[in-house]
Formats: sequence, structure tokens, C-alpha cells
Amino acid sequence: MGRVGVALLVQEFWDRARDRWVLTISALFALLCSAVTLYGKSADEVGTQLTGPSLVTLTSLLVPLVALVLGHDAVVGERERNTLGMLLSLPVSRFEVVLAKFAGRLMALLCSIALGLGAAVAIAHGQSAVLLRLALPTSLLGASFLALGILISSVSRRQVTAASLVVVCWFCLVFFYDLGLLGLLVASDGSVSTGTIGWLVSINPAGLFRTETLRRLSGPGVLEHLGVAVGGPGRVAEVLIWIAWSVLPIGLSGLLLARERDMR
Amino acid sequence: MESLELRKVSVRFGRVSALDSVSIALQRGQAVTLLGPNGAGKSTLLKVLLGLVRSSGQLIVDGTATRADNTFKQQVGYLPEAVAFPENLSGDQVLRFFARARGSSRARVLEVLKRVGLSSAAGRAVRGYSRGMRQRLGLGAAMISEPELLILDEPTGGLDLEGLGVLWSVLTEWRERGRMVLISTHDLSLMEHRVDQMYLLKAGRLITHGSPVSLRHAAAIPVRVDFELVADSALQRAFLSRAESANPSMQLRANTASMQVPAERLLETINLLGAVPGAVAQVRVVEPGLDLVYDELLRRAG
Repeated sequence: MGRVGVALLVQEFWDRARDRWVLTISALFALLCSAVTLYGKSADEVGTQLTGPSLVTLTSLLVPLVALVLGHDAVVGERERNTLGMLLSLPVSRFEVVLAKFAGRLMALLCSIALGLGAAVAIAHGQSAVLLRLALPTSLLGASFLALGILISSVSRRQVTAASLVVVCWFCLVFFYDLGLLGLLVASDGSVSTGTIGWLVSINPAGLFRTETLRRLSGPGVLEHLGVAVGGPGRVAEVLIWIAWSVLPIGLSGLLLARERDMR
Repeated sequence: MESLELRKVSVRFGRVSALDSVSIALQRGQAVTLLGPNGAGKSTLLKVLLGLVRSSGQLIVDGTATRADNTFKQQVGYLPEAVAFPENLSGDQVLRFFARARGSSRARVLEVLKRVGLSSAAGRAVRGYSRGMRQRLGLGAAMISEPELLILDEPTGGLDLEGLGVLWSVLTEWRERGRMVLISTHDLSLMEHRVDQMYLLKAGRLITHGSPVSLRHAAAIPVRVDFELVADSALQRAFLSRAESANPSMQLRANTASMQVPAERLLETINLLGAVPGAVAQVRVVEPGLDLVYDELLRRAG
């Protein structure tokens, strides 16, 4: 990344770090993580065992929303403010602009995640190692949804459209996707194999995060125990899925911006 | 950079031709302005130079065909029309971003803030800036790296007298230091004595170009000569009789006789001064405003 890209990355990070909305949502995330951990700590053994899964559920709901909202105005905001032309008049490629925006915002998101999980780790002395294992998948989940938010920002002509689309996207991927798969399982009356269902769960970053972190936190049999007999995609496929969810939307955003004919 | 040329540039947005084979050229130390009504293609031409709009045609720098790539853009500073910045940032933060991006020092940021008259407002958020202050901040951002070429799109918009003073001083400095300035503007009268070449565009086509003086000649609009006469009615009658025979379109208002004459007959008209000695107290030659020249040239272009 060149000088302009680095300057933009730093600017994006500090802009987000100073943003009142980002600060509020980070504080809320930290508060909820702390509350879940405190509850687990004060409960009986079963309650303590549920701290990890509860945090997984909380994270899988909140982090995608924060990441999508964080990314939704990255390109369309510049376009609407009439600042994109001035930015692109600097010696920087359009792809680099998208990459710098992604990296700067991702840094802010990672700080927010670190704050939330850090609060949980600070409270749960005995379970620190377990909770720390959440850090990497949570970061990958955030990166995926942030990349998706930036892609939505690149295809939108207006910021309000991008905001609506990220909310729809969140509902679809975080809530309705699993319900849809459940519906498919019931409707197919067993003709769709659990392997296929497992893959369909895993290609959704929210599903992949939930199944893989639960499996790692509570053991391989946890999903079967919960009545969801889903096979994992395997370590290599998992890594590839995470990479694809970050790289493809950013690459596509760069491509769309590069193809734009009239830059205001 | 010694010279810069855009040769036969065409831009199409769907079926609309935004620019049709337009060519412009700048030399070291020159300020050049693009003129034309809304939709003429002025801003589009500036964006072509910055690679913000896809076009056909050639960009030639120092005689060599090149592209509006990062190497070229390192030598260019740009002030867009209706310049905007993130509202939550202060003027100082905005300029520091551009300085970091361009590799300029913190000292240069302070120098530019002072130059554009924003030192005292540097710590304030841009949301509290007036339009003129934003324009000055934009000018500061464009000039922070002392680029070889300054591209200013409607730079006078919203500027007060102090702001205009800053703009003129930057324009003068850039010319004196052998750099180039390319300006798109509607304020013809403000630019007349500050630019070397003018390019007149209409509906994406280049109508004509040249120095302000040569465009005046090309338009061939008559100049107005006002003879302010003395109070003596006998002298007035004698003068008016001579003047009317020389120019039947003469008009008398109060004690002033006015006549429109082609530029080539100016000397002959002024010589009327000596026709009736003592009849004329004062003579004024009023050249047509550049806006009239502009209107005439556009009218001829159809």
C-alpha cells in the first residue's frame, strides 16, 4: 500500500475510533459480554459451561451488525459528500482506496471486539483461555461482514439505500438463513443429506462462526447434543471460506469502483 | 513539467457526447481558463486530466504521450467544484491528511493554513465553516504539495474579497514560479487580467481559444466612446453636428455624447476631440465586458 493508502487507512481508523456510534456500540458489546460472563460465573456448573456458547450467540448477532453498519458508508458516503473525486485525484488506485477503507475500519472493529472480549476475559478468570479462543473467529466474522458492508456501499447510489440493504443483509444471513435451512430440511423430508446441510451452514459466515466456535469451545459432540447434526467443512475449507468472504467482496468493490465512468 | 496537452479528447455518457474532440494546451508559467455555459464540458475535461472520467484522446506531457496515472497525479493538485470534506474533521486535520498523503511536512500544513487565512479557524470542525472557508481549505489542500499543475474547478464560488485575494496571490505565485494553473469558471470579468489563454466550450465542443485580447478582437464588438461636453451650448451644437455626421448612431444623454464604433475606427473617432476645440471636457473609451465577448462568440457558434 502506498503513502496515500496508508494515510487513508490511518484517517479511516481515527474517524471510526472517534465516532460516537462506534464508541456506543463498543461499550454495549463490552457490557453485554461482561453481563453474560458474570452470570456464568455466579451460576452453577452448567451455567458456567454455557458462558462460552452464550458469548458465541451474542457475538454472532452483534458483530455482523456492527461490521455491516461500519462498512455501509465507506464508498457511498464519499460519493454523497462529493469527496470521492478529490480523494481519487490523489496518486492512489481505486482498489487501494477500497482496501485502505477496509483495513482502517477493520482496525476500529477489532478494537471494539477486543474491548468486548477483553472485558469478558477480565471477569472470567478461570475461563480466560476458552474465551480467548473466540478472538480469532470473531475477528474473521467481523472482517467478512465488514467486507460485505463495503460491497453494499460500492453498489449503492445513496447512503440510505446502503443502510437499508445492510439491515436486510443482516436479517437474511444471521436470522433467516438458518430458518431457511431448517425449512429445507423439513420440506425435503430427509432427502437432503446432513453433509449438504453442513456445507450450506458453513458457507454463511454467521453459520460457520456459530458451528465451528461451538464445536471448539464445547467439544465435537455439542451440535449433536443440541439436536443439530451438522458436519464441519474441515480446517482447510474453513480457512478458504473465511478468506473468500473477506477477499471477494473487497475485490468486487475495487472492481466496481474502477469501472465507474464518472467520478464526482 | 514544461508543457501539457490534451489532444482530441472525447467523452460519452451513454448516448450523450460530453466532450467531442477537444484539445487544450498549457505551457510552463501559464494560467489557462475554460469558459462555457453549464453542461459545456468544462468540469468533465478537468476530470479527464485526473483520470476520473474515461475518455478517448491523448494526454501529452513534455511532448510524450502519457496517462493520468499515479506518477502524473503526483504533480497535480485539484480543487473540485463544490468542495466538501468530512464535517467532523477540523481544517487542520483535513490538511494534515492531505499532507500525509502527499508527503508534505507538518510545517507546510501550518504555512498553508496561514496562506489561505485559516490559521485561527484551523482547530474548528469543518461543519462550522462557511462556503468561502471551505473553498479556501480546498485550495490549501490542492496546493499543499506545491504541485506543478493546479486544477481549480469554479474556484471563486463563495469567496469573499479576502478569499479572492488569496486565490489571486496563489495564481500569481504559480505563474511566477513557472508552474501551470488550469481553471474552470463562470466569473469571466475576474479572470480577464489573470489568465494567459481562454478556451471557450459549448455543448462539449471547443468553440474558440486564445488570449483575452485576441478573443476580444475575434468577437469584434464595437467599443463605446463617451464625450463629456462643456456647458456652452454653442460649442455643444457645433460638436454634435460634426459628431453626428461622423457617426449617425450617436446618442446624447445629459451632456454626454456616446457612440459605438468598431475597434479599427477608434482613433478616427477620438480625433473628433480636435474638431471643435474646447467643446469636450472629457473623453472615455469603454471596452465591451468580457461577458459580452463571451456571449457574442457563443452566439456565433450557434
